[in-house]
Amino acid sequence: MTFKNHRTRFLRDGLVAVTLMLAIGMVQQAFASCGAVTCFVTIGSQQQVAQKGLLSANFIYSYTPMTLPGGTSGVIAEADTTNRLIIPNHHRELSTITNSYTVDLNYGLTDRLGVQLTVPYLTRKHEHFHLHGGADAELHQFSDKGVGDIRITAKYNVLPTLRSMLVAGFGVELPTGDTNQRDNQGEVIEPPVQLGRGNAGVIGSLYHTYEVVPHRLNAFVFGSYRHTFKNNVGYQFGDEYILNTGLNLVTVPWLVLTGQINYRYLVHDSLSARRGAGPIVDQGVPNSGSTWLGVAPGVLLKLGDTWQAFFFAQVPLARDSNNNLAQGTSFSFGLTKYFQLLGS
Amino acid sequence: MTGAAIRIMIGVAAMALLGHADSPAWGMAARPPLVGAPAPEVALKDLQGKEVRLSDLRGKIVLLNFWATWCKPCKEEMPAMQASYDKLRGQGFVVLAINELEDEGKVAEYIRQYGHTFPVLMDHDNRVANRYGVFGLPASFVVDRQGIVREHIYGNLLTEERITDLVRRYGGPGPSAHR
Repeated sequence: MTFKNHRTRFLRDGLVAVTLMLAIGMVQQAFASCGAVTCFVTIGSQQQVAQKGLLSANFIYSYTPMTLPGGTSGVIAEADTTNRLIIPNHHRELSTITNSYTVDLNYGLTDRLGVQLTVPYLTRKHEHFHLHGGADAELHQFSDKGVGDIRITAKYNVLPTLRSMLVAGFGVELPTGDTNQRDNQGEVIEPPVQLGRGNAGVIGSLYHTYEVVPHRLNAFVFGSYRHTFKNNVGYQFGDEYILNTGLNLVTVPWLVLTGQINYRYLVHDSLSARRGAGPIVDQGVPNSGSTWLGVAPGVLLKLGDTWQAFFFAQVPLARDSNNNLAQGTSFSFGLTKYFQLLGS
Repeated sequence: MTGAAIRIMIGVAAMALLGHADSPAWGMAARPPLVGAPAPEVALKDLQGKEVRLSDLRGKIVLLNFWATWCKPCKEEMPAMQASYDKLRGQGFVVLAINELEDEGKVAEYIRQYGHTFPVLMDHDNRVANRYGVFGLPASFVVDRQGIVREHIYGNLLTEERITDLVRRYGGPGPSAHR
């Protein structure tokens, strides 16, 4: 096959993929926002290292609502980054909903080393009340849309045996998302609700997959750690720890059933701020940080030789969000397409 | 979720039903498929120590089969591979059985015991399997006469009927033309 034929097929398939993504986006009416969190299911085609010269493209849509768990009031402190103040019990959170449309590209530089580019496009909607004297005062509503923080990851396949694969990843998150959007009251909304984090971050990850019964039953474990540096308004997102584990079962040739357990621990955020009349110091943001445990059943459908679709629902089992909003049942739907960019 | 999103997912599922059903979905572990792409070069030594190159077999239809003696399904499909090799080699059909990570003596003994005559190549360091994205055995690839990967078969045992069909589909004149 000539290079020209490769290029033509690549352009054609790319156009189909983009068209499908746009079609998916257009029918989504609900805006959703996630606050400081995003869906975190493990998707194999994102984690693997492609062979040399191969490009795998994932197009992923996620819907993630954040609501109040039962027994919580949603009354939290305000982290006022403009005046560098932490004001206890100043907000009553209502909801945050995010739609994310992510393009994730994996390219094999060698058969063991790959590079990954993740570009999220987010739409976010958030509501909370300001409290005065413990009572609801004005309603603050926020919405924004745009590119979030872009991530670049290098991945290395360190144990490519015939039944066991281990992929180590190191990534950098770039501060490309908006951090200065205002709500309907004209106030700059707090960093956890903004599309971007305002500074770079680093992410380390390990992904291990094992063929329990080759081509039939597969088990995997994924762990990651993310650290974000303090941004220029003195806000620093807490470190994030993720641990996912699950199984895949090939049923009929075109259908894989998958299920995973997801765990995420978020350390408290911090802000260089005063409390009352005190000095400005780095201090933990009350009502930030969380733990989240859930399950994510899903299906993978083979659509052709180089196309695959997948669907996950991420369902919480236990949540502790320090009286704040927490991720509810979320959904992810995606398409994977493989391209051969370079001849062997 | 909106009704439109649900309809899209139903549509995708319908597409899956009409899609390629011969080989399994990729699952979480499978690496990107090479189907439709030029076959990566294979340059390995056979049991006699002679180097065999896939590029030297251009013009033939090649079945690359990754296997090991500890792999029960691999051993079960070898008789079908041997029968097909005997019947179709006159049409330019070649089997390259690529052994993974095993000792030559052990492999040679196995091949002698079962009387297989197709070329057996030794992939001692798993490099070729990694290049082909092999994860789990057995795994087979059909490479056409132009050197393009046409099929990636895993999870289903090869049969003589299936191999004959693959040669007919991708290799030019089928066996019926010679009866």
